[in-house]
Amino acid sequence: MYVLSEQQIDFILNDIKLRGVEMEDLQSNLLDHICCIIECELEPDGDFEKFYQKTIPKFFKTELKEIEEETILLLTFKNYYAMKKSMIVSGTISVVMLIAGSILKILHWPGAGPMLTLGILISSLVFLPLMAILKNKEISAKKDKLVLVLGTLVGILFSQFVLFKVMHWPGATIFLFSFISLGALVFLPIYFFTGIRKPETKVNTITSSILLVMVFGLQFTLINTRPAKNLLQIKMYTYLQGEDLLATMQRQADNSEKIKPDTKKLITDINSSCQQIKNLIMTYTIGQSTLPKNFEEQGILMEEVGLGPDFFENGRGQKLLTDLKAAIIKYNSSETNKIPVEQSILNIEPDKIERYSNLAVLSSLTQLQLGLANSERN
Amino acid sequence: MYICVMYSSELIKGTLKTIVLKLLSETKQMYGYEITQRVKELTGDKIQITEGALYPTLHALEKDGVVTTEVVNIGKRIRKYYTLTPKGKLNATDKVNEFADYINTMKFLLDIKPQVG
Repeated sequence: MYVLSEQQIDFILNDIKLRGVEMEDLQSNLLDHICCIIECELEPDGDFEKFYQKTIPKFFKTELKEIEEETILLLTFKNYYAMKKSMIVSGTISVVMLIAGSILKILHWPGAGPMLTLGILISSLVFLPLMAILKNKEISAKKDKLVLVLGTLVGILFSQFVLFKVMHWPGATIFLFSFISLGALVFLPIYFFTGIRKPETKVNTITSSILLVMVFGLQFTLINTRPAKNLLQIKMYTYLQGEDLLATMQRQADNSEKIKPDTKKLITDINSSCQQIKNLIMTYTIGQSTLPKNFEEQGILMEEVGLGPDFFENGRGQKLLTDLKAAIIKYNSSETNKIPVEQSILNIEPDKIERYSNLAVLSSLTQLQLGLANSERN
Repeated sequence: MYICVMYSSELIKGTLKTIVLKLLSETKQMYGYEITQRVKELTGDKIQITEGALYPTLHALEKDGVVTTEVVNIGKRIRKYYTLTPKGKLNATDKVNEFADYINTMKFLLDIKPQVG
């Protein structure tokens, strides 16, 4: 019978660890097993090193780690591999979709919205939870589990914020605030103080925490805590002044004697289309169809935002814009005094208007109406 | 995951639990290496259980509450002894009976004549 020295036992244990077996229970089981084999089968004066290297491959097909994988499989759940596979598949699909969606978006090709939406939804609601569940089975400390759950939650919230923001869905700000507050005030401190206590994770934790603070900080600077009120108010007052001027000029035009009766209907159509689009945008922006003169007292602020797909969701905005275009073309072809349309919103394809800001479209509409009133006044 | 000299691994897969439970029901307590040696001895080397199959099964049995463990220090290393719990004893009888019944059914199904002589 061969007698193992302490160094040899340490060597075997170390080798088991190096070969990727992490569960302590399994480590000690395997260590004892290998020691038994050596003690029973090796001659007292045999070559330990040689015998060990010959014995260890009998334990596995490709690597020793597979014993642990098999153990985890039996210990956790039978569909471990199915879940792992779904995680990899969903991760790959979402990455491909995100990249494809981004390219479509940059090129302004159709399909970017659904592609990005699906990509973000799959990555945040399928991939992240699956990853957390699988990771959860590998760690045992309660604190590590808490960090994992919180981290996943922060990731999901952040994804939802980006999704809601990109799609102009209501509620993006709620996700942003919950992401920042949960991430910076709850997750980060717990992550930092859990990781820093263990010598092996200390350095990693510090660098990751600094990076996380940077990410949260940069994201925080994007929050419009107090929008530049004055600038927006000037734009709103300019809009109201434009409307006043328009009303005055329209009165003068109405009194003008040179208007032909059949032109009158066309003028009414153009003005009505413009007004309806304005009402639509105003409702979308401030929740009521016209901007009251005392908006400052009422605390109303028009945020400058892209019109977004909402503007066309029911097809109304698009239809109104098409009607307006037709009416103006008709007017310009029959009248000597034409409405100036160069660089106005009429040069924008109706389905691309969602990229323009609400304030810009409003002011362009007013300009068209002013142009019309002006050509009738003379 | 079995190394078996005589039988295909598909054939024995699924019976390892039965083998381990039966062995433990006959002995007060056993450790991993002992189990593999006993199986080898009882079957005349026809069935050799590999470590890659044994330890995952032992860990699973422990988690299911079928066996309990006792850790004994052997010099620098530790040895885990496995003992059946009362639940495990019932389980062992059930498993063996189930397998005996299975063999009878297979005999009939595959039309295996009892060997004479």
